[in-house]
Amino acid sequence: MSNEEFSPRIATFLCSWCSYGAADMAGVGRFSYPADFRVVRIPCTGRLSPKFVLSALRQGADGVWVSGCHPGDCHFISGNLTARRHFTLLKNLLEYVGVEPGRLHFSWISSAEADKFARVATEVAAAVRALGPAQNTLSALIKAV
Amino acid sequence: MDSYLLAKDRLDAFISRLAASLSVFVPAKGQDGLWSYVPAARAAPSDALTPEGGNTNMSPKSFVFPQTEVLLRFDNRPGEGGMILRQEPGPAGRTVVLGVRPCDAKAFSMLDGIFGGGASGDASGDAPGADPYWAARRAATIFFGLACNYPCPTCFCDQMRCGPHHREGLDALWVDLGESYLVTPLTERGRELLAGLEPAGQADLDRAESLRAEAQALLTGKIPMDVIEEREVLALCALPLWEELAATCLNCGACTHACPTCHCFDIQDEVKGASGRRLRNWDSCMSGLFTRHASGHNPRGDKLSRVRQRFMHKFKYIPVKRGVVGCVGCGRCIKVCPVNIDVREVVRAMNTQPPGPPERSA
Amino acid sequence: MRSRIVNIRAAAKQALEEGPCRVVAGYAPGTMAMRARPIFIDKPEDAGKLTWSSFCVGNLAGLLTQAAHAAPGKIGVVAQGCVSRNLVGLIGEGRFKREDLYIIGVPCLGMAERRKIEAKYPGRAIIAVEEAEDVFVVRGKRREVRMLRRDVLRDNCYTCVQRNPVIFDVLVADSAPDAEPSTGGGDIDKVAAPWERLAPEARLTAFEAAYKDCIRCYACRDVCPLCYCATCFVDESQPQWLGKTQDFADIANYHLLRALHCAGRCTDCGACESACPQNIKVRRLTSKLEKDVRALYGHQAGMALGEAPPLTVYKPDDPQDFIK
Repeated sequence: MSNEEFSPRIATFLCSWCSYGAADMAGVGRFSYPADFRVVRIPCTGRLSPKFVLSALRQGADGVWVSGCHPGDCHFISGNLTARRHFTLLKNLLEYVGVEPGRLHFSWISSAEADKFARVATEVAAAVRALGPAQNTLSALIKAV
Repeated sequence: MDSYLLAKDRLDAFISRLAASLSVFVPAKGQDGLWSYVPAARAAPSDALTPEGGNTNMSPKSFVFPQTEVLLRFDNRPGEGGMILRQEPGPAGRTVVLGVRPCDAKAFSMLDGIFGGGASGDASGDAPGADPYWAARRAATIFFGLACNYPCPTCFCDQMRCGPHHREGLDALWVDLGESYLVTPLTERGRELLAGLEPAGQADLDRAESLRAEAQALLTGKIPMDVIEEREVLALCALPLWEELAATCLNCGACTHACPTCHCFDIQDEVKGASGRRLRNWDSCMSGLFTRHASGHNPRGDKLSRVRQRFMHKFKYIPVKRGVVGCVGCGRCIKVCPVNIDVREVVRAMNTQPPGPPERSA
Repeated sequence: MRSRIVNIRAAAKQALEEGPCRVVAGYAPGTMAMRARPIFIDKPEDAGKLTWSSFCVGNLAGLLTQAAHAAPGKIGVVAQGCVSRNLVGLIGEGRFKREDLYIIGVPCLGMAERRKIEAKYPGRAIIAVEEAEDVFVVRGKRREVRMLRRDVLRDNCYTCVQRNPVIFDVLVADSAPDAEPSTGGGDIDKVAAPWERLAPEARLTAFEAAYKDCIRCYACRDVCPLCYCATCFVDESQPQWLGKTQDFADIANYHLLRALHCAGRCTDCGACESACPQNIKVRRLTSKLEKDVRALYGHQAGMALGEAPPLTVYKPDDPQDFIK
């Protein structure tokens, strides 16, 4: 299929307090953004383990997007601040082994920023769509079935 | 059966002829210095069957027992017949593997007893409980052996009812005579593939026999197992030896993966939506998860039990149940163990160590 | 090398006799050439079993975590630079206390990679290897070959940043920086991440080529002192995060996740590469992560007691230009 027809599946991890709230508000506010996201709500970006990201990619996600509170606004004070270091190393390592940079996205979106949520969602979907379906990290199961 | 001669300068032509109708694999050295079986087309001609090669890093068991094997695939199609299950087809054509060492070949014979549901050496797949996947690959894979003229310091095949020129499990045995190979077919299908070779003479047979005797003379280590045979299982389990091993064994599993007789596996389903596949993967008794029950209880939850299990299985349980020793003396476990646990020492200790205080039983 | 062995034995004997130690972890000669095996001794008269060589290629810090909780009294451990850094790290992570350890420190000359020696040896089988400071004398049945230490070192030892132990109770050789270089001499940042020079597609090819022979024996994990979780992520089953097949995606995920769990903690000791039965350059991923940790957070694992692991702390101005 051509890249225009391709609908990516983007595993999306949103922190419960900020970014999930923003997503909710984007819905209430009838903001328009692509429907390519599979959202998983986590209590805080500090909870994000690289297991989630790699498991999502293995099971067929074409991209991953993680979003949480702005630094300084974390509901658990510093969860996102330690997460920031984890994200940096994870992104660097995955790009180091050949995963395209456009597949992995991170953002800070507060619960009031519904418009930012819609805008970033649109950017992320466009970036992943441009790369086409993820082949490298896909399990043979997906290819065979 | 009669023996034949294959001159070494005719080896490439012989391989090409085989390759016309079968997949041919030969041992070859990789860039990382490790020997493994590769398609003959990818090996440099001078690599094939080079005697200095010793043995391959991993055993050839994956020709018949791959590390990951799809057993069946399934789709759930309500309205179209419901759950459709399709057994994965077996190998499409036949494969011949050259340069298999007698220790690895004997392991196939031993595993026939386990996967074949019948006696050792019965690869027919006809016995009740026979594994059809094993049987299909076994029927499709021909093993031509290369006798060992120069055993490695870690070889102890002769102590494990095998030997450097042993024939069990092979379709033909080749002996490197210097300028040519003495080729002795051992099965009908082996003989079919060796048609057209020049017959060997008595001098060639004598030379092979003296090479065998020289190789045997290089194997000087003794590993008696007579006391192990007599000792009760619980008495062996209570030996102080296991505490010493458990102190440094990493429980990694390198030994089990390198071992030609290890055969434990785990079956899992991978499901995506309405479709999936059932897989068999190698498993290892070294893993803590290996014996964990769904209830959470784990009969071998501590490292000592797992370390002990490996040696008891190969040197006591299999001999008691099957009348064969569960090891072929290839020495790979000695080479790969990161902490240099040496099976020869362990077996000697099982045979000679006096029982310790009885505080620890099975 | 001889003097190190003599001094290790003396230190262990004294430590067991005088009581600070109830057990000492060290190495004994192996059962074949180019091997040494970890050993625990608890009697002073067994000190003669201890040895030291460039084939002591494991990491004793990993074995201590079980012995640590067994009985009262200190545990002695023979430790060179990188291993002592792991001890610092494990103390920081609460695996044991400094006062529970008696560290017999060994200034290290660099570990040998036995497979490099095997590759260079023209004969059939190596029967024995003797070593002096700069030279290995490699003997087979019919020949003897001399190899320079600097040609057969384990990869990580060329870029060692800390040959001398960072903590110790007794030192078994002179470690003055003037008398003996305290590092391997190579520039670790230059070689830590070779794939950075490659285009993204070439990186994937390099990654596959490097790891495709992995047989998931987990020797790398089990020899690593950092890997001590009661339930490793590999064994988690509710849910099962990691596929167990030989598909490259599953092999890749195992190594990527393990490397990430070691990030900021790895001392580049190389035990993983020595343990791997398939000669995989297991350090490819951790060395990239540690390079990033040095560059971004200014940290090297295990250099001083009391430093917090970098992934448990943060700075207000940590880099985040990739975060929208």
